[in-house]
Amino acid sequence: MYLALFLAPWMVMYAVSTLVMNHRAVFVERYGSGPVPFHKERELVYDGSFSPDVDLKMISRQILTSLDLDGAHGVTRRKDGAIVINRNDLITPRRITFTPDTRTVLVEHQERRPNAFLERFHRRRGYATGYRLDTLWAVTVDAVIVAMVFWALSGLWMWWEMKVTRALGALAFLGGIGLFTLYLVLL
Amino acid sequence: MTFAQLNRRTHLYLGLALLPWFFMYGISSLPFAHTPFFEQRDAAKGLPLWTLRSDRITDVRPPADDNELRAFGAALLSEAGISGTAFGTYRQNANQINVYSYSFWKSTQLKYYLDQKRVTVEDRRFRWDQFLTGMHGRGGFEQEGFVQLSWSVVVDLVCLGIIVWIASGLYMWWGLPGHRGWGWIAILAGAISFIGFTLRL
Repeated sequence: MYLALFLAPWMVMYAVSTLVMNHRAVFVERYGSGPVPFHKERELVYDGSFSPDVDLKMISRQILTSLDLDGAHGVTRRKDGAIVINRNDLITPRRITFTPDTRTVLVEHQERRPNAFLERFHRRRGYATGYRLDTLWAVTVDAVIVAMVFWALSGLWMWWEMKVTRALGALAFLGGIGLFTLYLVLL
Repeated sequence: MTFAQLNRRTHLYLGLALLPWFFMYGISSLPFAHTPFFEQRDAAKGLPLWTLRSDRITDVRPPADDNELRAFGAALLSEAGISGTAFGTYRQNANQINVYSYSFWKSTQLKYYLDQKRVTVEDRRFRWDQFLTGMHGRGGFEQEGFVQLSWSVVVDLVCLGIIVWIASGLYMWWGLPGHRGWGWIAILAGAISFIGFTLRL
């Protein structure tokens, strides 16, 4: 019970975000198809320097730290040499483009849309970012997974312990199993 | 029947009816949360993921308008003898259109090359992790057919079921005065942690 009370916000988020993703067409109709657009936030000259053998990840971390935006991100180098950092901020995702020739840094933020925010939240997972907060989040995601399996099994056991609800409970349980099996065959 | 009894019964029977989905969403989250582990495990087998079924020239004419891509994908699938599956059609680049057909058990991709009028059909090797993630990610109302759409309706019901489950659970907890203190601590700790993640991630 206490675990369920603790993890309730996670479950609400997963349920609401799934509803939103299940009805993506509604949001496509409202916002149009294609990626969420970015808007210019600021542009500045970057004074820092990089050693010649430094890898992209080091460069991106240095730039993000200098902008006070350090956190989970992906980084690529474009064909023209520009370094593009996608900062995966949950509320305000940003794209930071560093052009070595002009030493300029362009910071853009993604337009805020509730459905995109919920979808980002739903998909946030994994231990690969190297950031402590993301690792901690991944641990909570694992906790939700374990809890869901535990609730399912413990719920079954609790139901079986209550003789008065066995018949109707069996009907609900077998009905669910039957429908699920039907989908397994048909879909 | 009192409201408290109705609440308990709703919590129980809803949970039992939706248990297969609840269990599936729980288990299938594992390969999503630990993708590198499952990918490395599969890569160690050294087996190709896709197997070429056919490679031929086709008469099916590609559309100029992207709004007609889905009809084009359906025609390619029909020509390849694939029917009744969910599918999506995407323009990979100016010279290639991909059709991805999927069921819980089998996935096939068709690649149409515009300059050669050539289509390849490839079948994906069955993997349990992809079976689970495929089921987890299934939804939406873009597909045709009653069974396809009814699955998406059930997905909605599961989401609403989870919300009802939380609300009825909270009501049951409130009915146990002896557990209120620790319950509040759990609720507040969860809410504060969650808000912290929302703001900082």
